[in-house]
Amino acid sequence: MTFDWSVIVQNWPLLLQGAGVTIALALVTMVIAVPGGLLLTLMRGSPRAPVRGLATAFVEFFRSTPLMLQVYWVFYVLPMLTDVQVDAFAAGLTALACNVSAFNSETFRSGINSIRPGQRQAALALGMTGLQAMRLIILPQAVHRVLPALANTWVSLFKDTSLVSIIAVSELSYVGLQLRSQTFRVLEVLTAMAVLYWLMGYPQAKIADWIHRTCKVTE
Amino acid sequence: MTAPTDPQPILRVTEVRKHYGPVQALDGVSLDVSRGEVVCLIGPSGSGKSTLLRTLNALEPIDGGQVVFDGIDVHARQTDLRRVRQRMGMVFQNFELFPHLSVLGNVVVGPRQILKRPLEEAEHQARELLGKVGLADKARMRPAELSGGQQQRVAIARALAMRPDMMLFDEPTSALDPETIGEVLSVMKRLADEGMTMVVVTHEMTFAARVADRVAVFDRGRIIEVGPPQQIFEAATAARTRDFLRHLDWDGASDLMS
Amino acid sequence: MIFDFTFLPGFWRFLLGGVLVTLWLSLASIGVGLMVGLAVGILRTYGGRAMDAVLSVYVDTMRSIPLLVILVWLFFAMPLVTGRSLTPLAAGIIGLGLHLGGFVAEVVRAGLASVRAGQMRAALALGMSVSQAIRVVILPQALIRMMPALGSLLVITIKDSAIASVIAAPELLYKSQVVIGKTYRPVETFTIALVVYFLLSWPVARGVDYLYRRVAHLGAS
Ligand SMILES: Nc1ncnc2c1ncn2[C@@H]1O[C@H](COP(=O)(O)OP(=O)(O)OP(=O)(O)O)[C@@H](O)[C@H]1O
Ligand SMILES: [Mg+2]
Repeated sequence: MTFDWSVIVQNWPLLLQGAGVTIALALVTMVIAVPGGLLLTLMRGSPRAPVRGLATAFVEFFRSTPLMLQVYWVFYVLPMLTDVQVDAFAAGLTALACNVSAFNSETFRSGINSIRPGQRQAALALGMTGLQAMRLIILPQAVHRVLPALANTWVSLFKDTSLVSIIAVSELSYVGLQLRSQTFRVLEVLTAMAVLYWLMGYPQAKIADWIHRTCKVTE
Repeated sequence: MTAPTDPQPILRVTEVRKHYGPVQALDGVSLDVSRGEVVCLIGPSGSGKSTLLRTLNALEPIDGGQVVFDGIDVHARQTDLRRVRQRMGMVFQNFELFPHLSVLGNVVVGPRQILKRPLEEAEHQARELLGKVGLADKARMRPAELSGGQQQRVAIARALAMRPDMMLFDEPTSALDPETIGEVLSVMKRLADEGMTMVVVTHEMTFAARVADRVAVFDRGRIIEVGPPQQIFEAATAARTRDFLRHLDWDGASDLMS
Repeated sequence: MIFDFTFLPGFWRFLLGGVLVTLWLSLASIGVGLMVGLAVGILRTYGGRAMDAVLSVYVDTMRSIPLLVILVWLFFAMPLVTGRSLTPLAAGIIGLGLHLGGFVAEVVRAGLASVRAGQMRAALALGMSVSQAIRVVILPQALIRMMPALGSLLVITIKDSAIASVIAAPELLYKSQVVIGKTYRPVETFTIALVVYFLLSWPVARGVDYLYRRVAHLGAS
């Protein structure tokens, strides 16, 4: 068995480009999913039952089904529902953003619930509005619980972007799998792909651990 | 009963009812509080004292009856609740200081964020109030760095910063170590002497006897007796009041009166 | 949009087979993940510094490489090294199990750390060996606290098993794709698959929540 690592060197720019798309996809997803999760959390606290029900159903659905299937589903169903042609990137991004918003909403909700109700009462007793109490009193305290969970979600999200390769979004996994079938250097290409993910993901996992430690100290 | 009825009380509570599931927490409670008056609410645990206090500023909705504060029907739909709450300061058993803000920040947050006062004015007033409760030197500290008694005094300053017309206290000393209870009670006594209208839920009978203008005795969601401290502590008419006081080892307040 | 489910009678047995494989794949992976994770978690906690450092690389590697990449590598690339190929299902179980093991190890480690140090000292003072103390005193206390977190990993594994479709493990998502290849009904078929996955994981998730509320007070020590 001989290995030919030159294939990696030759295709290095392609792989890097794939890694770039992976990073961009994760970033854009999170930028959408943080406000998305907050919105879902607020909706789940709404006094109107239909609003609450809708948000809860959304969250439960996206948390309880495989992301890979969500990606397929958005890719095939969204065009049928809306009659607009969505490209693969948009479909993948939509699925990821909905999925992560649902998880973020859980994170925000449990963070907010961890603040004892007396704090909200004290804020209201001072004469604050519900939104002021949320913004000035509850959220700043919930941050210490929310940040570590968000960091974990980010680490998972970064890996989960690989799942949109199934609808041919040219992020790192897709590029790797394409190269594999074009060059037939299966071991070399797949190993390089794994190593690239490792190089990017490992520091992120470490940073997430650091956030966990920091937030514990200040609690 | 004995107190002459004030034609224009600042607070008028009429037949308020409130239940939690099967529990009738308030079973038709009526009470008037005049301007400048100090009313202490006493009674056994679970009798509805805290619940009544929370209905006064509508932190709890009510099932029936009426709470009128300075002519405003507190529980009416069109009432500007926040305005009412700004005019009624509230002090909690567990202080409920905001742990992410400094001591000064806790006192400033209301005037700044709710009343939109300029920062300098708000801070100036906050420092004055902290001085008044004896904590001028603690402004920069975090609530967690203070003793319970100090935290509760900050909470009082925080409520006073809104310049309320009336103060509500829910067992302000129950969570405190015995040695720090006195410092909180003396701040409250000073406040009463300055003419603040106060409704105080308390188990500190000595404080009630010394400071209250009237004492209301709760039992099972009702006020069973109201009157000046002498009357309640020396000559209670209701048997349950006497039971309750005996249970507390209350041995008469004669030495405290006069 | 018109749904057309008329193809279903011809294929429901086939899809049901996929559901069974999904269940088997999930359970087997959880078995592997629990064994690996328990061993790694205990060794990291009580095995000394060097052991901890080495095993932390395993854990963080599992946290940083996508499951899809792990599965694809095990199935396509590893045979070129070992000269022996795995069936899709075997590769799926090993890949899912090893990936899960990293996460179980973290849960186990946190669970062990949550038992007060005095418990270990008390057990040793009674004359127990370290491994006895872990088995008899520490683990039983830690396990209760680990239950909710392990339960969520169960749900995650059921969902993650769908990724094994990329190496053609004959589970539900893969079989759905086969059906689509024959019927050209992606929307209907994927919708059915979604509902089935939801029915498999949602009750487990709710059960875990329930368990968590029941067990939460035991966590306070
Ligand atoms: N949020 C709530 N939900 C359900 N029941 C409640 C709630 N708050 C109070 N109750 C019930 O209402 C009744 C009155 O409670 P409340 O707290 O007003 O009593 P209290 O007189 O303040 O007693 P304590 O001296 O113990 O503070 C009690 O039976 C209590 O269990
Ligand atoms: Mg009470």
